[in-house]
Amino acid sequence: MRRAILLALLLSAPLPALTKLALAQPALVAELAETTVEITTGFTGASILVFGTTARPISATPATAPGDEILIVATGPVQPMVVRRKIRVLGFWLNGPSATFPNVPGYYAIVGTRAPWEMLAEPDRLERRLGLDTLPLRARGGQASPAFRAALLDLKQQEGLWAEQVAPVAVSGGQLFNARLPLPATVATGEYAVQVLLVRQSRVVARQELIFNVQRVGTAASINALARQQPALYGLLCIAIAAFAGWLGSVVFRRG
Amino acid sequence: MQVYLPIAEMSVDALLLLGIGFGVGWLSGLFGVGGGFLMTPLLILTGIPSPIAVASGACQTLGASVSGLMSHWRRGNVDARMGLTLLAGGFIGSALGVQLFALLRRLGQVDLAVAFFYIVVLGSVGALMVRESLGAILNRKRDGQVRLHEHFWMHGLPLKVRYRKSRLYISIIPPMLVGFGIGILSAVMGVGGGFMLVPAMIYLLGMPTAVVIGTSLFQVVFVSANVTLLQSIQTGSVDVVLVVLLLAGGVSGAQFGAAMGAKLRGEETRFLLGLLVLAVAGLLLWGLVQTPSQPFVTEPAP
Repeated sequence: MRRAILLALLLSAPLPALTKLALAQPALVAELAETTVEITTGFTGASILVFGTTARPISATPATAPGDEILIVATGPVQPMVVRRKIRVLGFWLNGPSATFPNVPGYYAIVGTRAPWEMLAEPDRLERRLGLDTLPLRARGGQASPAFRAALLDLKQQEGLWAEQVAPVAVSGGQLFNARLPLPATVATGEYAVQVLLVRQSRVVARQELIFNVQRVGTAASINALARQQPALYGLLCIAIAAFAGWLGSVVFRRG
Repeated sequence: MQVYLPIAEMSVDALLLLGIGFGVGWLSGLFGVGGGFLMTPLLILTGIPSPIAVASGACQTLGASVSGLMSHWRRGNVDARMGLTLLAGGFIGSALGVQLFALLRRLGQVDLAVAFFYIVVLGSVGALMVRESLGAILNRKRDGQVRLHEHFWMHGLPLKVRYRKSRLYISIIPPMLVGFGIGILSAVMGVGGGFMLVPAMIYLLGMPTAVVIGTSLFQVVFVSANVTLLQSIQTGSVDVVLVVLLLAGGVSGAQFGAAMGAKLRGEETRFLLGLLVLAVAGLLLWGLVQTPSQPFVTEPAP
């Protein structure tokens, strides 16, 4: 009985899928060197290596030498941000009007064998949100002037959290590609999505989605977790540690 | 050597923090003050966000004052009853101050408020110190008439209590008000407030100098402990790694400063301290008046 069911199952498996798996080499295979970035007490930033291979040769200049192109986009967890404009009141500079952007990716990096606007037609690029200018940054209430959006773009790039085409995707041997996405020390923790796109004649023909995690580990992680989950206990511990350090210091240095 | 601050979520140079701690500790040992009024602005200048600098500054002040309190307590230089009266006001003041701080943070005006408080408080205290100490230096030759404990309207207030160690019989209202005011400043500025408490105790309450330092340390230790606790509950911005680094530099610096301070005369020390206080106020004022390099700032929405 059992055997009969197994046989039926095997026979009912879609045949085309099996043959495709066996015969056709996928157009794009990509992988991340690490799937976790650990924030330790000595963390000063990191970079994530994206690498892979394609079935057909890659070309950075498809106009002269025909070939496929690679585009890599990484986005970090979304968080709400406030942008404030500094205004001058009675000679003093203070924080004036503000705009809140509810959906701001904490990290956004895009690199390609060429710049994304050279690779893809504009409507396609806008739809797929490839490029800093395509990010859906809308202020809450929708009243804010475009200057706030521009300032957000500007400041995030200065912090190194948003980057566009910092270094082009490197290609070796015609079919092997790799790119390093820099993560500054201020990266937020959470899940990051990396999209690798294969572009042929201005059209995306293959796409692969990869995930990596940024997480605090060790002392930094336990301190942060305690401060968030048990703020009163954390406060008491801070008091005890400070008092102990002060007392210890006076004992040690009084003799010296 | 870079170190990652888990609450500030940024990485800073550990040697820079140790250096700041040492420098401020040295000055505080030299002048006999907690040094919080120097620490917090310096941290802000190195790029630590104001909320973290203020909350961690309060915790650092606690550590820096503990050993001083212990040695004064052993020598019997603490008027515990007066300390408790100040503390009662201090607890109320610091609780209100932390609420005020949380409100300012929501409004996005922490930077301005912190700088403003510093400029007003340091500017006036510094000016008074310089004036007073200059007068003392110039009048040194003349036979300085010791000002006696005078009676004015304050001594007519009700709820009088006898403070034996301070040799005072006064109402509890003035010390509580003094404690209250210092408590607010402690929460908003991240300072212990010793540099204001000491003159207030001498000139306003008429306490004898011998018990002033010990009693002010008593108030400073407990009020800054209260601020640390309330800040970590309310705003979650006390960074313990930052505190430990600052204290490590601070306690060693304080010993060198204290050894050097013993060689300086009182008026000269006060004059130099006054100049230092004025310089910090001037620096912060410049920061507010100067055209910012960035017309916009961003921060995570609360």
